[in-house]
Formats: sequence, structure tokens, C-alpha cells
Amino acid sequence: MKRLLIVDDSKLMRDMVAACLRPLGAVTFEFAGTGLEAIERLALATFDLMVLDLNMPDVGGLEVVEFVRSQDRLRELPILIVTTRGDDESRSKVLGAGASSFLAKPFGPAEILDEVRRLLPPERAIGRAST
Amino acid sequence: MTDRVDVREFIAGFIAESDELVALANASLLEIEAANLAGRSRPRAVRELFRALHTIKGLAGMIGVEPIVELAHALETLVRTADRAGGVLVREAVEASLRGVAAIAERVRAVAGQQAPALVPTELMDAIAAAAAAGEVAVVPARPPSAPGWDAELAPGDRQQLAAGWRAGRRAWKMSFVPSEDHVRRGITIASVRARLGEIGEIVKVLPRVTPGQGAGIAFDLLVTSGASAEVIADAAATTADRLIELDEPTAAGDPLPGSRASSGELDRVEDGAGMLGRPLVRVELARLDDLQDQLSLLIVSKFRLEREIAAHAERGHDVRRLREISELQGRQLRDLRRAVLRARMVRVADVLEPLSLLVRSLARSAQNEVRLELDARDAELDKAVADRLLPALVHLVRNAVDHAIEPSDQRAAKGKPPVGLVKVSCTDLGGNRLEVVVRDDGRGIDRAAVAARAKRSVDSDGDLLDVLTSPGFSTRNVVTRTSGRGLGMDIVRRITTRDLGGELAVSTTPDAGTAFTLSVPLTIAVVDVFSFVCGPQTFVVPVSSIDEIFALLPDQDVLPPSAPGTSSPIRLAERRGQVIPLRSLGTLLAIDAGVNARKAIVIRRNGEPVGFTVDRMLGRHEVVVRPVDDALVRVPGVTGSTDLGDGRPTLVLDLYALGVNAANAPSGQERRA
Repeated sequence: MKRLLIVDDSKLMRDMVAACLRPLGAVTFEFAGTGLEAIERLALATFDLMVLDLNMPDVGGLEVVEFVRSQDRLRELPILIVTTRGDDESRSKVLGAGASSFLAKPFGPAEILDEVRRLLPPERAIGRAST
Repeated sequence: MTDRVDVREFIAGFIAESDELVALANASLLEIEAANLAGRSRPRAVRELFRALHTIKGLAGMIGVEPIVELAHALETLVRTADRAGGVLVREAVEASLRGVAAIAERVRAVAGQQAPALVPTELMDAIAAAAAAGEVAVVPARPPSAPGWDAELAPGDRQQLAAGWRAGRRAWKMSFVPSEDHVRRGITIASVRARLGEIGEIVKVLPRVTPGQGAGIAFDLLVTSGASAEVIADAAATTADRLIELDEPTAAGDPLPGSRASSGELDRVEDGAGMLGRPLVRVELARLDDLQDQLSLLIVSKFRLEREIAAHAERGHDVRRLREISELQGRQLRDLRRAVLRARMVRVADVLEPLSLLVRSLARSAQNEVRLELDARDAELDKAVADRLLPALVHLVRNAVDHAIEPSDQRAAKGKPPVGLVKVSCTDLGGNRLEVVVRDDGRGIDRAAVAARAKRSVDSDGDLLDVLTSPGFSTRNVVTRTSGRGLGMDIVRRITTRDLGGELAVSTTPDAGTAFTLSVPLTIAVVDVFSFVCGPQTFVVPVSSIDEIFALLPDQDVLPPSAPGTSSPIRLAERRGQVIPLRSLGTLLAIDAGVNARKAIVIRRNGEPVGFTVDRMLGRHEVVVRPVDDALVRVPGVTGSTDLGDGRPTLVLDLYALGVNAANAPSGQERRA
């Protein structure tokens, strides 16, 4: 079972992202409403992918990416940024910080689904340890 | 569908969240306005405002409401400029922002009313752009003293917050919170630590830090100002007092920028830090209380299950006297607990009304008339959730009164009235969970004839008048004033009062003597996330949290076993991912004419086993206010309350779990709890 962390300060946006990703089938969604909570969740559990909003109170998405990438065990975690700031500057900034991919809001269900499918690591052998 | 999220499912959520964000934006703006009057900056409120606008923009983009995207984007640009200036939003910018936010609110209402939101007037966009340009040249405030070691990490706004904490006589502390699985099990997370610290002080900054080879490998460094003791602070951060590091306030001599302190010297006595309006502390606290209330609901459900089990044992002839005694005691304790939780959610009405005085001050500046506001809340209290919903309605009524009802001073003098107009907001606790709020003005009164002419119908009674005033889009204003564009329409006041809060709205008016709007609202409400669906001729809702899964029924997927002896409703079976799920017809269980058209199944878990209920079709997802049918502990099994989905008719809120239990124990569906 894949585990996805959806990070957005808007509950509605979290719900919408999860709804878009429903066709993935066997995945567990976990949610965080702030950047700090996301950092905590990532430290305490193993996830297969994180969908991350950029603009959040306290620690924003960019800082989360920078922080996550400073940890060895999270260096490979696929991070999909979803943001209203679709400009090239923001894009190059977060991708430069180590995000895996970037999707500008508004996006359609197919777009995010395709992107997540592309980013998700292939299913490993059965019995893979998960915390 | 391919280029947008299927919006139908999310429209209700969009409206609810946008309303919240609009309220947050307005509260932040009022806080900034108050700070401006006191000669202070309010960086935190500016940041909150920015975030609210940014989130609205994102959500509106997803739902596809372009005018809101456009407005939010323009306002965001305006506020970003202010943030760079260290949290200073000049008066013109506040005015433009208030208008912009009101325009957003109007368009959210249009979406709610299933109308196309109006395009944004060029004039408004120009005003916002002009204010943004003015902000560029706003004076950047002098740099306040900084905390040693945190220099690189502290934004100008953080430094100001730290300085304000010292000025208010609080001490500044640095500490680390190290998250762990063990902490999580005990409910201690970075979110809970922040909430607790937020209650006893102000959090200036939280920074994550990598700690290789230790526990989870990370820690959070927190910078907090607080008047609490080191022990209390340490406890809140799940650490010990000896691990706290106090930051000393830089001395005046060592202050790199002495001017920054001198400039605010006169204002030292002004209350700061705790905040006059934004109340970030209460917001956090409320989330925790919501959680508490959710847990309590679960407890009440399991209490109900326990009672069912005891009743079943009694039927089999077992001695259950002791069990009954304990269960009854537990029932009383639960009721007490519920009362205690509700009490904890109460805020003083006087505090809730506070922003109104600020509002009147700022309105009076722009309007041509002079107005005095009188607030009389006595000691009344109400639920924070009600207060949050009620305030926008009161803001609108007060705005209308200042803007339209109170005559210019010369006209008032001619009528023999005092030159300064009076708007009075008074609250009375009526008992029985009702609060009466009256917004009364001594202005010109509503011209019934003009209203009748405008509406092309007769308005003989106060009820007729209210109907016309609160019909969407109705307006009697013949002069477009600067402030009238703000806020919500009267239809929204009615919607808030009746639909959102389950209360009543009344109006009475006398020519040249004034108008009074009376709102009667419950002191407490429960807000629940629900799915709505159709079963037979009726619409019902079920809490989202109770549902395991919803799936479409395929005719060839279902197996129809022979009816078990003694049951009136045959149980169908469906196979899902290799598991067999018994399906009950909800229509049959509720004894309503349904079941033939069942196309969806709602699945819940009972003792870990899935149980499905067939319904005709799903409608959508909403956040609703649930009005209890009775005391939560003495209610009809299966029905937890009623709500209004906006059509003015009561919709029953179902507890499928209880229905399932009921059906299992009494297949005829006749049994009721004693």
C-alpha cells in the first residue's frame, strides 16, 4: 500500500487533491495542514510521495523542500509542488531546491494523476518494510 | 471534467472555506486598521491576510471562478508590498483591500446562489493597483532590536514581534521540541506544542533542524515570548526548564538602532501582543475544542452501543442491574462532560462585538454623517463557532445603519434629533440556548413605500418588508456611497441567521425614528462535514467521518439471497475487492418508499465488518450545522439531528451505525430505544 502525504493549509484543497488521486486505488492518504506538521510526519513515518502546497503559514513549501532534502533518508522522496504561483521564477526556485515536479493551480484531475503516477516509485517486492 | 476538478462535489466546501477566509481577511484588515490608528505595525495580521488571499485565489482557480482569482491576485500583490515594508499597510491600502475582499465575498455568494459571479469593475481594480503603488513608497519602519543568534532567520516582522513582546514585559525564550513516535501516541505533536505555547505566549518563530543520528532525526527550534514561568513553558514544549535558553533584551546602549525604541516610547502602554481582534490564540484553541467535541461525539456513540448491548443481554434474561447502574452513571457523566465542553467553547459576546466599534470609527471617517456606537452585551456568552458566523451579519447591519440609515447632521438637526446618530447593538441571553441581538439605529427608518415600489409588491407587514429586504440582489440605495459596496447583502444576513445558525431574523421600522433588526440565534451549534444523498422521496445527510466507502451498484454484481425467515427486508450482498458486503435497503429500514432505484451503496464499519446501505443517488458534500432533534443522549436511534441544506426544509442527519444496529436487532425496524 502506497502512502501519500498531502500538505496544504486548505482542507478543501487537500480533499480535492485526494479526490483527484482516488483512481490510484490502493493508496493511503495522510494530511498535514502546515509545513511544520509535514516535516514532523515525514520524520516519523515513511511516505512514497508528498504533494505540497507552497504558500502556507509559518514554514512554507519552499522551506519544507529545502529542509526535506537536507535529510539523507528523504533525498529520494518524490515531491510534487502544487501552487497558485505558476510563474517561471517560482518554478525554478522550488525545482532548484529539490522538488521533483511542479503543477500550477488550477490543474485538472488527469494532470495531477498523471504526474503522481509518473513520480511514484514502482511497486517493490512484497514484504517491503513500512512504518 | 478533464480540465477542471469535478466541482460539484466541492462547491459547498469552496463556499464554506471562502467564507472563512473572507472573514479572516476582514478580521486581519480590521486589526491592521486598529494598529495603524495606534501607530503600530501588525506584521502577523498582514501575513494572515496574505495567506487568506492566496488561498482564496488557489481555490477559486480550482473551482474556476475567474473574477475571484483576478481580485485575489490583485490584492495579494498589494499586500505583498506591505509585507516587504515590514507589515505596514497604509490606510488607502486597507480601504482598497476591504473593498476588494467585499467584492470577493459578493462573488462567493453568487457562486453559492448558482449565479455567474460578476466581472470585476475596472474602477475597483484601478483603486487596488493605485494603493499598491502607494504602498511601494511607504516608509519602511526602523529595524527593531534583534535576538542574538536568530538574526539570519528573523524577518523584520518577527523582530518587531519579539520587540513588542519585550515591551509588553514578557520574556523571550528559545527551546527545542524533538518529535517522536512516543510523543505522537500521547498526542504531542508540533501542532499541539504550538497550540499550547500559543495559549501561554506568542510564538515568534519555529524552525526545523536536522539532528543526525538522534531519534526521528529532526528537532524544532522555537522562539517564544511569554509571561509564564519557565516550567510552564517547558512543559508546553514537552521539554524541561533547564533546557530553555532565555534571550536578553538588548540594552538601549547596545541597541544597534536606538531610534527604533525611542520612536515607540510613547506607545509602550498600548496593549500589544495579545492582539485586540485577530485572536490567533482562540483560533488554535477552537481547533482543539472541535477535536474534543468530536471525541465526545464518538464517546456518545459508543455509550449508545453499550446500552444496546445491555438491553440485548436483559432480553436474554441475564442480570444486568449493575451494568445498568454503571451505564446510567456514565450517561450522567457524559452529559456533564458535554456541558463542560460546550462551556469551554463559549466566548464573551462583549469581545465578539469589539470589532464593531472599530468598524464604526472607520466608516464614520468616510461617511458624511457622525455616528456613535453603543454596545451592550452584559455578561452574555456564546459559542465561538456561532460568534464567528454571527459577526459578519452584525458587521453588515451596522454598516448599513451608518451608511444608509443615519442622516447627515444638518438633516438630523432639522428633525430635532441629536446631531450625532446612534447605532446600538444589544444582546440578551433569553435562556433556553437562545441569544437575542438587536441592531437598532435612530435614523430615517425604512421607506416602505419606496421598498414596495422597488419590489413591485405590497409590503404591509414587517414580515413582508423583511422578505423584500432579504431577497437576493435587492437594494434600496439610490446614492452609491463609498462604503456601500462593502460587505454582504441583506440576503446574506438572513442566510447566516436562519440557515447557518438556525435562528430567526425580524425587522421593525418607524419613519424618522429608526430601524431595529432582531436576530435570535442559538448559543451553540455543531458543524459537521456530511455527504447528502437521495433515498426515495427524501434527501438525507450522513457525517463523512462515519463512512468507510461509497460505491456504485452494478446490477450483475449483486447477489440476491433468499429472505431469511422472519425478516421483512431481504439482504442483498455485494462483492468488493474479494469481500462480501451485506447491503440493506435504507428505504426499507426507514420505512419510506424507495429501494427500486438504488444505484449507490454507502458502507460503514460495524465491529470491523463492512455494512452497506443502498440509496438512490449521492448529491454532494457539505459542511452543515446540525440541530439536535433532542438531547444527544435521548434521541431516536438512527437520527442524530436535522439540518438545512439551503432549501429551507429540514433534512435529517442519519447515524447509519445506529440504524445498522437497529436493523440487526429488530429486523422489522419497529424497535425504539426505551
